[in-house]
Amino acid sequence: MISSPLFVLASLVVSLHTLGLVILIFTNLILLILAFMLFFMLWKGTHEKNHDRYRLISGLLIRRAVFYDDQIDPETGIPGTKKATRLMVNKVFRKLFTEELISAKKNIAGMAAENLKYLYHQLKLESFALKKLNSAHWHTKAKAIQELTLMDMRELKDDLFVYTNDKNEYVRMEAQVAVVQFNGFEGLRFLDSITYAISEWQQIKLLHKLSNLPPAHIDISGWLKSPNTSVVVFALKLARNYHGFEMHDVILTCLDHPDPQVRLQAIHCLGEIYNDETSVHLISRFWRDDVRHQLAIIKALQNIGSEKDNIFLSTLLGNDDYDLKLNAARALASSGLKGFALLVEYNDADLVLNDIITQVRGELAA
Amino acid sequence: MNLQATIFDVFSYALLSYAVLLLTIYTLIGFFSIAETRAYVRKNSFTDYRVLASSPDAPSVSILAPAFNEGATIIDNVRSLLSLNYINLEVIVINDGSTDDTLAKLISAYDLYELDFFVNHQIITQPVKVVYKSHNPVYKKLIVVDKFKGGKADSLNVGINISKNDYLVSIDVDCVLEQDALLKLCKPFLEQTEKRVIATGGVLRIVNSCDIEGGRLVKINLPEEFLPRVQTLEYIRAFLLSRMAWTRLNGLLLISGAFGAFDKDIVISCGGYNNETVGEDMELVVRMRRFMEEKKEPYKVAFIPDPLCWTEAPATYKNLGRQRNRWTRGTIETLYTHRKMFFNPKYHVLGMVSYPYWLFFEYLAPIIETVGFLAFLLFCFIGVVTWSCFFIMMSIFSVGVLYSIFAILMEVLTYNQYKQKKDVLRLLLVAMAEPIFFHPFVVASAIKGNFDILRKRKSWGEMTRRGFTHLDKNKNKYGN
Amino acid sequence: MKILVAEDDDLMLKMLEFRLKKDGHEVIVTHDGREAMDKIDQLMPDVVITDIMMPYFSGLEIIGAVKTKYPGIMPVIIISGMGQESVVLEAFQLGADDFITKPFSPNELSVRVKRFEKSFFT
Repeated sequence: MISSPLFVLASLVVSLHTLGLVILIFTNLILLILAFMLFFMLWKGTHEKNHDRYRLISGLLIRRAVFYDDQIDPETGIPGTKKATRLMVNKVFRKLFTEELISAKKNIAGMAAENLKYLYHQLKLESFALKKLNSAHWHTKAKAIQELTLMDMRELKDDLFVYTNDKNEYVRMEAQVAVVQFNGFEGLRFLDSITYAISEWQQIKLLHKLSNLPPAHIDISGWLKSPNTSVVVFALKLARNYHGFEMHDVILTCLDHPDPQVRLQAIHCLGEIYNDETSVHLISRFWRDDVRHQLAIIKALQNIGSEKDNIFLSTLLGNDDYDLKLNAARALASSGLKGFALLVEYNDADLVLNDIITQVRGELAA
Repeated sequence: MNLQATIFDVFSYALLSYAVLLLTIYTLIGFFSIAETRAYVRKNSFTDYRVLASSPDAPSVSILAPAFNEGATIIDNVRSLLSLNYINLEVIVINDGSTDDTLAKLISAYDLYELDFFVNHQIITQPVKVVYKSHNPVYKKLIVVDKFKGGKADSLNVGINISKNDYLVSIDVDCVLEQDALLKLCKPFLEQTEKRVIATGGVLRIVNSCDIEGGRLVKINLPEEFLPRVQTLEYIRAFLLSRMAWTRLNGLLLISGAFGAFDKDIVISCGGYNNETVGEDMELVVRMRRFMEEKKEPYKVAFIPDPLCWTEAPATYKNLGRQRNRWTRGTIETLYTHRKMFFNPKYHVLGMVSYPYWLFFEYLAPIIETVGFLAFLLFCFIGVVTWSCFFIMMSIFSVGVLYSIFAILMEVLTYNQYKQKKDVLRLLLVAMAEPIFFHPFVVASAIKGNFDILRKRKSWGEMTRRGFTHLDKNKNKYGN
Repeated sequence: MKILVAEDDDLMLKMLEFRLKKDGHEVIVTHDGREAMDKIDQLMPDVVITDIMMPYFSGLEIIGAVKTKYPGIMPVIIISGMGQESVVLEAFQLGADDFITKPFSPNELSVRVKRFEKSFFT
């Protein structure tokens, strides 16, 4: 059957047809994409020219606001906004202007910053942001929250709290930063009810935000017992940063937490928040966890340890793991003359210790 | 006649189905990469990297930069590494037994002194001679290690042994990095709450003909010579399309050794870089993935579409051939080492999708192309009607060109590094020229790679270092 | 006074220039560490105001260079978003004369710069 010449011819014609069609489709697609690209580049070209003009107008107005030294008359506001108000209906200009305004506000503080906030109000930009809060797209919502935060729109702080537990992580992130900015440490109450985990990145952002505020006393004991492990980790970081000495005993309980990350963070925390008993607790749990935790304990002991702990450290000098050896040696060397004496006296069958001692000596001298 | 026609038909249909499969995959890659890139660009707009740059909680990073005979540019390169925007950082430059003045230049430029350093040999390597640090506090992040020659993988392992931080960034010392490159590369490690990110990679771009001053990128230009230019196109396709798509599936197998970040704990648990293969970067990523699969822990390999690292591409056919030959051998070695995962459901996406894809569509593609082409010639010679064969080849050709044009479009829409219209035009022309002047050569190099590995050639194949000083002279053209 | 400003953010640079000019100072603008170093040597400003993170040379390297080449005659003020204790300590250890964190108040900057006017006459 297959050998029939007619069949071969027919199948060839058919395949010619389909393949020819295929090639035709491809060439058309190529031409289409090329045309699209051309139009896009042309459009972008004209766009760029407008952008420069817009940037000029925005820059001038923003600088005027920053350096406006007089009292702002509530009737007229900051002068020279006629052109900008007219252009504000243009989405492109509005976006550019807002970006420049926010960028300036990020770098400027004091009277000048207040003026920028006033300008934002005057040009009614917060109404656009509020509209965006109702968008179905996460990035629009998050961007709007970010804008309101950066422009310091405190009046809207209560509206934003609900977003701290939004299902989208970026909306959550921006809302959490917002409530902290507007409510200070009080804003952290979202930690009571948050159901999602807080990523390390988000924790960094929050801590950074908090570091710009004057320290306040907050009760973190509830968070240290939270079922949400990331909340516990974050609370431990707070305790560490803000010297929550009264939390010491609660932090000790975290040493036995089921999550390894919590245990690790608790060790770091106890390196700064401690009393006479702390080192005993750390040492008693030394052999329960992996090397990472052990190294953390040694580092903590370097800070908080006293002579009685040196004996324990010297037992580690015989351990097989070189990292433990090195760090124990380091801790002993920097704990004073007696500790250093223990170090050099140790009889090491494995001559590696001599190299370690040399390095540690070098580190102390530097 | 009977047998001939049968062979011919079977052959044509096999080739056709391969082509159709390839086309489907390219299309899927196109869609996935658009989605992933768009998501990334959006997420990125919420990040203020300054916060990360100055946070004490930022992940601690050790940059590992193996150097062999880099005397021409080493001082500038190290300077640019030291000025990266990052706090918790150490820069470890490993002198892999250079025979030129690399080490001497470093010692003099950075005021280095010998240090008593205890090297923890967690991974077995060639012996370390001396460890250096700088007297100058401005360079306190720098550590220079002098060791006996052992190759790139061995040098990286030395760096791992010496590093004290939690994350490793392997880098080719002559790569030019963006200032925020490290921040962007390390951020994925902090964002995941459910999975552990074990490695991240970034986009490589071609630096040929760009203006470099003091180890830093001043102006981006499209390479003037044909070979680097066509590789620019190739890199756009590979990085912007292919790798972004694979990231979406969490199936990315390769993070370029020129710039990638890794979780040090896992690297050490896996045993460090493999000294026996020339494709040590790919092999490590595959091994790390396999390790996590076997441990049954959720993990992710992340990829950043931002152009972070600019590297020099071979500009002569000779060097290009060596490079592609080495890449092929590396792929073969990696695939062979981990052949247990082939269609093995125990390894999920890695074994059922990534590995087979690499085997059939990355490794075998040049071989199938060559076989197809030779068969085409054979049929011409015999005189069998070969129009459908011819049309298949034409359609594969146009698919290839279409894919390239799509890649250029993506590049224009996203990062738009080459802003001038004439540059985009040049890229389009190169897309047409590639199948004739570039692709066959690359395929031939890959085939040769197959033969070479059968003959067990194990050298790195040195690429003669042209150095950036040659490019610096061009800066006057741009009025600098 | 003749003041050299080194800052890679254009908007910030313009702000600083504007404010200082308003106070009657002559302002030299530079966009990166290398340009700053060159112009410091060429034009010998009375005061240097610099960011930390910049292309080519960081603000910290600039402090080091200025304090070595022109000790006692060229005060260096750092303006930076990196207000971490370690960074501030390092800046002062290298010899910085003042450290202003971002976000900053232009009025405050003006007053801090003025302090160095007196030393001009001592």
